[in-house]
Amino acid sequence: MIRAHALTKRFPGPDGDRVAVDGIDFVVEPGRVTGFLGPNGAGKSTTMRMVLGLDAPSSGSVTVNGHRYAASPAPLREIGALLDAHAIHPGRSARDHLRWLAASNGIPTNRVGEVLEQVGLEPVAGQRAGRFSLGMGQRLGIAAALLGDPPVIVLDEPVNGLDPEGIRWVRKLARDLADEGRTVFISSHLMSEMALMADHLLVIGRGAILADCSMQQFMTDHAASYVRVKAPALRDAQSLLAGRGLDVSQVDGELRVGGLDAAGVGELLGANGLVLHELTLVRASLEDAFMTLTADSVEYHAHSGAPVLEGATR
Amino acid sequence: MSTTTLSAETERPAARDLADVPTPGFGRALQAEWVKLRTVRSTGWTLLATFVLGAGLTILMCGLNADWLASDSADESPGSFITWGMMIAQICAVVLGALVVTSEYATGMIRSTFAAVPTRGRVLAAKALLVSVVLFVVGTVTALVGYAGGNYFLDRQGIGMALEGDVLRAMFGSGLFMAGIGLFTVAVGFILRHTAGTISAVLALMLILGNMVNLVPGTIGDWLVKLMPGNAGSPIATPVSFNPGLLGPWTGVGVFGLEIAALLVLAWVLVRRRDA
Repeated sequence: MIRAHALTKRFPGPDGDRVAVDGIDFVVEPGRVTGFLGPNGAGKSTTMRMVLGLDAPSSGSVTVNGHRYAASPAPLREIGALLDAHAIHPGRSARDHLRWLAASNGIPTNRVGEVLEQVGLEPVAGQRAGRFSLGMGQRLGIAAALLGDPPVIVLDEPVNGLDPEGIRWVRKLARDLADEGRTVFISSHLMSEMALMADHLLVIGRGAILADCSMQQFMTDHAASYVRVKAPALRDAQSLLAGRGLDVSQVDGELRVGGLDAAGVGELLGANGLVLHELTLVRASLEDAFMTLTADSVEYHAHSGAPVLEGATR
Repeated sequence: MSTTTLSAETERPAARDLADVPTPGFGRALQAEWVKLRTVRSTGWTLLATFVLGAGLTILMCGLNADWLASDSADESPGSFITWGMMIAQICAVVLGALVVTSEYATGMIRSTFAAVPTRGRVLAAKALLVSVVLFVVGTVTALVGYAGGNYFLDRQGIGMALEGDVLRAMFGSGLFMAGIGLFTVAVGFILRHTAGTISAVLALMLILGNMVNLVPGTIGDWLVKLMPGNAGSPIATPVSFNPGLLGPWTGVGVFGLEIAALLVLAWVLVRRRDA
């Protein structure tokens, strides 16, 4: 389990401090895949570096299994991390990279062969890592994360540079690890990827948590569909539909109706003699929902006094 | 899949007890650094260059100057020539000390290192110990081979030296000087975190600035010359120093050691405080 409390990171800049992570609270629970979603520069990597004790928080705290990472009795057996696929010496072979990692934490050397096989790098294990493609580098980074068979796994943008087969593999790996009861914390800037991988979603924008909810809840809240109605007698249509207890709003000369499908809306209006010009089911994609959510965060921050967004529990 | 290591589905790794796992200490960090050092080619090349330059140039200089050193016109001692190559080989010690530290910063691997060993002082200590031991051994062997080859030419002119007293001290002293330079550079590497910057800074300080302070007049100048790290550390590596104004071999090593210690402390403070 990973627990952050009022976690804050400020970087000093020429015109005052830049707040990268702004007093966030979150809990990453075991037994499920938690997606950490946000646009580039939202504070994802900084947060993950603070989890691993690489960056010190400006204030607040973050703990892994109840203590600071640096206080871990056996770091690699407690938390495995892929932080940066390039955190590898290009002149060292994949096997040797894993060998020094194993040596540093007293992990039996047979684990090196096991994880190489698990990520599919066994055939190229003796090659220098500098010759690896981005995807192979990611696999080596994931092998390093799995080396200590840790209960907590943190992967920063693991699908970057992977081919479709590799992306499916990461998806299945994350699922299997969570099913084994592990805490799996995966960052991405791709909503579509998270939709397929994560059970729980943590959306970050401009250093603040915008949503902390299940994937299901997020879809319901942010990617709800509605029926678009255009009609000459818009006001009559609105009062009729609202009178039936439907969720109706008027936006830009059209009605947006929730709670009933297009056929139902059409029949209702037709039965009351109202002429329709358009009747369309509009389904917002998760990608759109994510864009809207994070775009809002930028806007709200510009005004100061960020309102609590729907779906955000903190 | 890693499930092979888990006995049953009911076992929850999240709840696994870490108490039975031995806590990795300094020995583990040292082992990890040893694996790292052995598994990049630059280590082998740098140490080979140390040997070739250190021993080779000593033999060459003794061979070329033996005639003159034995003549009446000689105003230098053969004892200044018997470890001549080590003056050049020290550049390799700078390179090795820098690479062990700064290549990790250049590649971003330092984050893997600090994630694996969060007690950062341990990483610094392991690198420092390893670099100094390796350079002490290689430096001493290099000096001995240089002595064996160089003394052959000096012997033929009747000015050979026995491997005892100050000559023997200079052999181990060469190892000590090399180790000191490696340590010095490791400390600078952690402070600057940049390969070219570290190598330039140390070479400039040791070789260029160390000579330029000769231009400073008066007693202040004399003491600056004595106390500059390269000047303080080098007399231990020669039976007879080219520059008689320098500190004695053991006093010099003491001063050099203190300078190294000060830099290591600064590096330790910074490495613990800074974000990786």
